[in-house]
Amino acid sequence: MSAARIGAAPGLGLLLLAATALLCIGGVAVGSLGWEPLWGRAGGASSILWEIRLPRTLGAWLAGALLGLAGAIAQGLFRNPLADPYLLGSATGASFGVALLLVAVGMSPVSASGWAAHLGLTGAAFVGAVLAVLLTLALAKGVQQTLRLLLAGVVVGMVFGALAALVMFLAPDIMRSMQAFLLGTTAFLGWPGVALLGLVFVPSLAVALALSRALDALSLGESTAMSLGVALTPVRIVLVGAMALATGAAVAQVGLIAFIGLVAPHLVRAAVKPTHRWLLPLAALAGGVLLLGADVLARGLLAPQELPVGVLTAVLGGGYLIWLMHRRPM
Amino acid sequence: MSGIAVSAEGLRVTLGAGEVLHGIDVALPAGRWTAVVGPNGAGKTTLLRALAQLLPHRGRVSLAGRDASAWNHRQRAQQVAWLGQNESGAEDLLARDVVMLGRLPHQAWLGAPSAQDHAAVEAAMRQTQCRDWRDRPLGSLSGGERQRVLLARALAVGAPLLLMDEPLANLDPPHQADWLRIVRDHVAVGGTAVTVLHEITMALHADEMVVMDAGRIAHQGRCDQPATHQALERVFDRRLTVHSLAGQWVALPS
Amino acid sequence: MTKWLFSLLWLCAVPVQALTIVDDRGVAVELARPPQRIVSLLPSLTEMVCELHACDRLVGVDSYSNWPAAVQKLPHVGGLEDANIEVIVSLRPDVVLLSASSRALARLKGLGLKVVALEPKTQADVQRVLRQVGQVLQVPDAPALWTRIDQGVNAAARSLPAALRGTTVYFEVDGGPYAASESSFIGEMLTRLGAANVVPGALGPFPKLNPEFVVRADPQVIMISDRHAQALQDRPGWSRIRAIRDGRVCLFTPAQGDVLVRPGPRMAEAAQLMAQCLQGRLKGKGP
Repeated sequence: MSAARIGAAPGLGLLLLAATALLCIGGVAVGSLGWEPLWGRAGGASSILWEIRLPRTLGAWLAGALLGLAGAIAQGLFRNPLADPYLLGSATGASFGVALLLVAVGMSPVSASGWAAHLGLTGAAFVGAVLAVLLTLALAKGVQQTLRLLLAGVVVGMVFGALAALVMFLAPDIMRSMQAFLLGTTAFLGWPGVALLGLVFVPSLAVALALSRALDALSLGESTAMSLGVALTPVRIVLVGAMALATGAAVAQVGLIAFIGLVAPHLVRAAVKPTHRWLLPLAALAGGVLLLGADVLARGLLAPQELPVGVLTAVLGGGYLIWLMHRRPM
Repeated sequence: MSGIAVSAEGLRVTLGAGEVLHGIDVALPAGRWTAVVGPNGAGKTTLLRALAQLLPHRGRVSLAGRDASAWNHRQRAQQVAWLGQNESGAEDLLARDVVMLGRLPHQAWLGAPSAQDHAAVEAAMRQTQCRDWRDRPLGSLSGGERQRVLLARALAVGAPLLLMDEPLANLDPPHQADWLRIVRDHVAVGGTAVTVLHEITMALHADEMVVMDAGRIAHQGRCDQPATHQALERVFDRRLTVHSLAGQWVALPS
Repeated sequence: MTKWLFSLLWLCAVPVQALTIVDDRGVAVELARPPQRIVSLLPSLTEMVCELHACDRLVGVDSYSNWPAAVQKLPHVGGLEDANIEVIVSLRPDVVLLSASSRALARLKGLGLKVVALEPKTQADVQRVLRQVGQVLQVPDAPALWTRIDQGVNAAARSLPAALRGTTVYFEVDGGPYAASESSFIGEMLTRLGAANVVPGALGPFPKLNPEFVVRADPQVIMISDRHAQALQDRPGWSRIRAIRDGRVCLFTPAQGDVLVRPGPRMAEAAQLMAQCLQGRLKGKGP
């Protein structure tokens, strides 16, 4: 092993961890007054730090990590560098769930404090996302053929998107709340949300790592992977499941954030050429850095107003892709 | 080692609209190199894939005397190494990571590759002479360089049975000669090789030949026997003749 | 000869009833006679027409117009963005009242209908638009109506004890959270009542805030729709806000919400609602 090769992937990992640490400090320092130095604060403000800013910061990182991980899984599973975790319809499924809940809540105040409140926006989004993926699996009749799975995902995504739009049309009062969800926000992310994200992140990463060699083998083609002893169907089911859960959890907590799942793995691959054993955790780190960075900017640029995070990730992610295309002709 | 490495009874395969293999019975001897040849569309690749358990089929396939379905995934992967045709993808993986993937059937879920894995990878890369670009991503290699890496991947499995579909693609004559040597070395230590080749002259270097035509086996026999040559000429509509040249059999268009 | 003079006078008399009105676009719209068939595509305009006693002249309203009860039986011709052109034309209106940003405007005008673009957004707008609607309807009641409304607002302001002046208020309009700032219509109303809006007007009328801002501002009273009030104290850090600790959260029903949000002739009622809220006499089932 040549000296130059040792530590390329771990080196990137350290860089991303350092960026994460810096952004965490930034995330805790940026609030409704813009940038505030953390030292020399009065005691009363510590509750703001602890109850509001810290969960938002950690939650943004976790959601970004989940999306980056799901994106890496999607790109490996579908053997397509343009795949993103929303391919199986989870994004529009979540939108539909949220739209339905908003309408239900809007119809009577009783439900606003009853089951709908317990389910909450996050629950509705999660259920919607998972149901959409299940529907995709059913439509594709399993995971045998990736092309059929992709097509089914596109169909389900479009149908749910249309249904969500229909609901918004029939009940336009929900439009502003829907917009907040559709464009992404960490506004009301508290410790329970962070705990949920963490609870989903750890097993998703563990499962994906366990199957990292299978993902590598898949990149050589289905036949080769099968010949190497990879049981395609169970592997695919587990990976789709991990992807759906990760995406559903992230979307439920922070809304629809574009680009993170697509760009994070590309960022990693542009820097190093890793196997999935490194790609998966690095993509998660990169996703976390991206979303946290966008969130800090969203909070800080126009304080005390907030930009929607999804707009910033689209700008940042889109800009990066444009630069990438310019630099390396595809 | 004598015996049958892989055999099929009543093998039928349907792809898409039609049946591609019509009830094939074949037994390929262990410790020998068998070449599978035939015109386009004869079903050579399909036969090889069915033997490798890579596509659904009717009829029975046995590996080393045991029914193929009795093998679990891992055991089968350690027994049979596959090199497919036109494998795309994996542009971003480094060459040495690709070759290391050949050790997958011997590795646990997680955990670093063992010393044995590293040794096998080194040996395979030396055999195919692709060590020079071990740290380059697959996508940056030329066709021939890439093919050698993929061949090393198949060799790294260390399986007794090597199934290769058009392994000479993109290889120039010196490397085709290297490949010949590799196959002969594999057979010499007791391994079995079954290759689909459309270069008939190269195929004639093998020990045995299976001649296919339109989803059936037209002839199976040793490569140096006249019956085999006649079957070849028949199957290719006499547009090909087998000659002897400097002690080798060559097939020339007539 | 007398006949000639009479018909000449008659000819002169008719144009007296024709009216030219300059609407929000700055376009002068000419109405030959008082319109008898009116379509309104803005709820506040509907309410103004009815308050000016011309409700019976309405033949069609938009989907959001729901007050007074009489208009609920009229044909609803679509929302603000998707007015049903065919239905509107089939109603043969003499004039269509809508907002200048309505997408139907150009189309209706192109089809030959008379359109008057009016949209009240501030309290000053209400006074002006009320006068303009009165002109369109050719009724003289508009100034008197405005005086009554204005006095009603003042009365509501006077009904508040001096101790409640300067109460800090946070008015949330929608999830996000979107707040009503000082420069919004709601904000103006709060200012007239002597309350202090925690959201400054410089941020625009309905800014999307960082929820931390509200926690910092620590308002004494929160006004919010009962639909969006769920789990107000589950919001991270919000349980510390004075308004939530003291239970001074006013939950408005959708009907009350309509009154508060629409810059229209029910301003006095809106002022009363807010005054009741500030005095603590308007609490829903609370968080």
